[in-house]
Order: sequence, then structure tokens, then C-alpha cells
Amino acid sequence: MAYIDQKKYYTNDAVAPKDLNWGSYQYVSLADIVNNFLLMYDGNHSLVNNEKRYKILFHAKRGIQELNYDAFKEIKSLQLTVYSDLRFVLPSDYVNWVRVSLFKNNTIRPLVENIQVQSALSYVQTATADFTYNADDNVNTQVSSLDTSRTDGSLNSIYLNQVTLSDAENQSFDNNFYDTNIGARYGLNTETANMNPTFTIDKKAGVINFNSTMANEQCILEYISDGMEGGDDSLITVNKLFEDYVYAYIKYSILNSKFGVQEYIVNRAKKDKTALLRNAKIRLSNIHPGRLLMNMRGENKWIK
Amino acid sequence: MINSVRNTVLAIINKNNYGYLSPNDFNLFAKQAQLDLFDEYFFQYNQQINEENARLSGTGYADLKKGYEEVIDTFSVTSNLTQSAANIYFLPSDATTGSDYYLINEIRCSTGGVYKGIAETVSNSKITLLNNSLLTAPSIVYPAYTQEADKVTIYPVSFNGANDVASQYIRYPKDPKWTFTTILNGDPLFDQSQSDYQDFELPIDDGNDLVSKILQYAGISIREGDVFKFGQVEEQMQNKEQ
Repeated sequence: MAYIDQKKYYTNDAVAPKDLNWGSYQYVSLADIVNNFLLMYDGNHSLVNNEKRYKILFHAKRGIQELNYDAFKEIKSLQLTVYSDLRFVLPSDYVNWVRVSLFKNNTIRPLVENIQVQSALSYVQTATADFTYNADDNVNTQVSSLDTSRTDGSLNSIYLNQVTLSDAENQSFDNNFYDTNIGARYGLNTETANMNPTFTIDKKAGVINFNSTMANEQCILEYISDGMEGGDDSLITVNKLFEDYVYAYIKYSILNSKFGVQEYIVNRAKKDKTALLRNAKIRLSNIHPGRLLMNMRGENKWIK
Repeated sequence: MINSVRNTVLAIINKNNYGYLSPNDFNLFAKQAQLDLFDEYFFQYNQQINEENARLSGTGYADLKKGYEEVIDTFSVTSNLTQSAANIYFLPSDATTGSDYYLINEIRCSTGGVYKGIAETVSNSKITLLNNSLLTAPSIVYPAYTQEADKVTIYPVSFNGANDVASQYIRYPKDPKWTFTTILNGDPLFDQSQSDYQDFELPIDDGNDLVSKILQYAGISIREGDVFKFGQVEEQMQNKEQ
């Protein structure tokens, strides 16, 4: 793989998409990683020898997946409208969520995860509490009343999102409304003190369920993926700061699962891997003096 | 080299009037001897690698592995494989690529003339598992192949063009043939201008080994134990020196 010249970098040689190579210098491709590993760490005089390439490929991808889960901080975002079904289907490459926000009136409002159940499956029951079964002997299901009440807006919430802004501003502290919806005398329940819509993530169903106040609103999901790029090997890349770590990870994984490798060699490979991950995380954390300065400027601010 | 090897063999055999080795017999024994030595090169090469790992080998002129590698590489051939059906291709052979293969070193895959990747050999017992693997299923960048009889099957199936698959392999040495034309005083006269003439393909320094090997075969052929033993002792001594 050769370096690309600046014209190709900036313009992709006039081939769409023009921005294909922008920022690409930060990354090393999976193909390069496997190639370099086979050249430099595998062979007659190396610790790793006579291993199938697919094993190296497997460990390389597993290493990259692990990095994507926490170390990379490569957060993807997707904005969709939530319609009356109050669902947001998770993206095809979704692994875990970082933040869910409501985008309204040109303002991003981070949403909180509802601690109560928001959706349930319901079995059809007879008057004698028996279940009914279909032709395949599976129990008949129906939309649960919980889901119905959530979507039609009748579900009571322990959050403040049933309170309008005017309610919150105009209520007296001494009435029942304040006690039940905003905060009792003994103080606000901070866990539920949020006026924005709430959500729960149904991982198995692959959807985010919102409460009714999210209907017809814009939702932004920030999430992480595993970096496998939908199975297209040619698109998988790793930040160069983690390149050495990936080699160490592959080496350790192979030595660790190989019969007859001395324990001290496995331990050395393990330490190598761990140290390189730590180094790369520190490098990637970008603790710039300039950023710290911006934060610390508020240190001596007078609170009026 | 073939003529000097034959002359040496005949000189040893004739010394005690053990018998006569006809050109046809010589050619048969020469072929067998060359194959024996050719095969040994791979074992020797492996032996050298083990010695290198044990720090028993040096660099520069002491790098014996390099010598073996060079000899083996003289038999290296790169050629497109002939398509049998879709993603199935014939292994190299006299009929398809012009030479039989001793071992396949690499199978290179391309599409539309653009190189994509080296296909990795996968055993038939693993290929189904590999194809079902989400992370490591053969892909355009990382193809794989299995071997069945005289054919290889390339995965993924998208490699299915007539010129999509090429192989770099080590061929067998060509059969040596000591050719002659005129019979002079009852003896055949060496003539290397014949169209079917073929010298040994091994390096000159293998001449002694070839003589020893041919003597062993010749000793068995003419039922002369001394000749066989002489060849055997010679070979053992040479091996010891190596």
C-alpha cells in the first residue's frame, strides 16, 4: 500500500466522493495490519509460526472490536424523527449507546433513561387465566396495555415530563401538584428530575422506546459500533496510535491459545499488550494544556 | 553435467568389469537420483531453519539456508491456472501449465486483471466452518482455497474468471536425458544437440551425489553389491561433510 499524494488526498483525483481520503492518514487499514504482522511477527524465527492467516485475521478483528468498544472514542451519531409509534430502530452497526438527545428548537437536550419498564409482551388470556395457543403450539400474544398506555400518552410518569413549563413555573410549593410531580417537601428526587422525554432501550427488539412526549420529535442517537464496517474488510481501519497494540494483541492471543508455549512468554506478551493499550489510551485522550486552561478559567468565577 | 556424471558412473562400474549400463537405464536411474536429491533439498532447507533457530548457522557465506532457497527457487514457476468450472481451477500440470507441481507456494487471486489477495489453503474439514464464520469468512481481500483431486476451489465464489487465479509453485525437475546419435565402436556417442536432450537441473555441486545415487541404482540393477555399497558409502560421506 503506497502513500497517496496530496492531490489524491484532497480531491480523490476528481472521483466521487471527493472527501474519501480526508483524515485517512490517521488510520492504518486491516489489510496493512495483517500484512505487516505476517511479515514482521510471523515466521521461522519468530514466536508466532505456522499459523493460518485466518487465525491472525480473526484476532486482528477481535482486537479492533475491543478497541471500538471503549478505547477509540469513535462515536457515531444518527438523527431520526420519532413518529407516533414512539420507536427509534437501532442502527445496523449499533453495539452500545452513548447518549440519546432530543433536538428541538435548535437546541440539543440530552434525555435520561427511564428506570421503569416501558414496554412489555402480553399473552392472550382467557377469563380463567389460561393461555391460548396458535397452530404451532406457541402462545398467542397481543400488544400489552403498558405499550398502549405509553403510546397513547396515558401512562403516568415518575419523571417531570408530564409537567408543562408553565405548570412548573406557576405552582405553589404547598399544593399537591408540587408534591406529587415536582418534589416533595423533603426535596427533589434528582434521579427523576427531568422534564424531557424519557426512553428505554429494548436491546433484543432492537428499538429505543420513548414515552409519548417524544412523538414527532427529532432524536439524535450517539452510539458506538465495533468497527467492522458491515463486513467489508477493505474499510476496516485502526487509529495509528493503536497499531502497535493490535500487533501485540494478535501475538498474545495466538501465544495464549497455543499448546506448549512457555508461561513466561505468554506473560511477556500479555504485559506488552497491556502496556501498549495504556500508552495508546493516554495518547488518544489528548490532554491539551489549552483545553485544561479553558476549563480552569471558571475556577475563580464569583457565584452571584 | 549429465555427460560427466555418466562418464564417472561408467568408469566406476567398468573398473572391475561389473557390467554395462545402457543409456536407457542410465536415464531412468538419473531421473530417480535427481528426484531423490530434489526432495532432500526441502528437508535440508528445513534442517537449516532449525539450525538457525538454534543459533547453529551464520550469515553471509555461512548462510546455508540461502543456498538451498536459491536452488529451490530455480524450480519456481508462476502461471495462470486453467479454469475448470466457475470458481474451480485445475492445479498446475503438464497439460495445463506445462509442468507438474511439487508444492503450491501461493495462489493469487485477481478480478478484471486487478490483484486482490493471496488465497490461503484451508483443509476440507475446516472450509465449511470458515465460510460460516462472520469474522473470517473468505473475502475478496482474504480469499481461501481447498484442494480436491487435481483441482482447487476458490472462495469467495466471485473469483470465477478465466484469468482470475494464478499460482506460484515449485515444479518437478525435468527428466534428465543423456542423448546420443552415432554408434562408434559399439559405444553410443554423446550428442547434446538432440531435441530431447535434457541436462540435470540441479547445481553442479550435486554431481557427486548424483553419481552416488545412480551407482546405488545401477548396483541393484546389475546385481553387484559392491557397486551399491560403494554408492551408499560415498553418499553417507557426503552427507557427513554437509
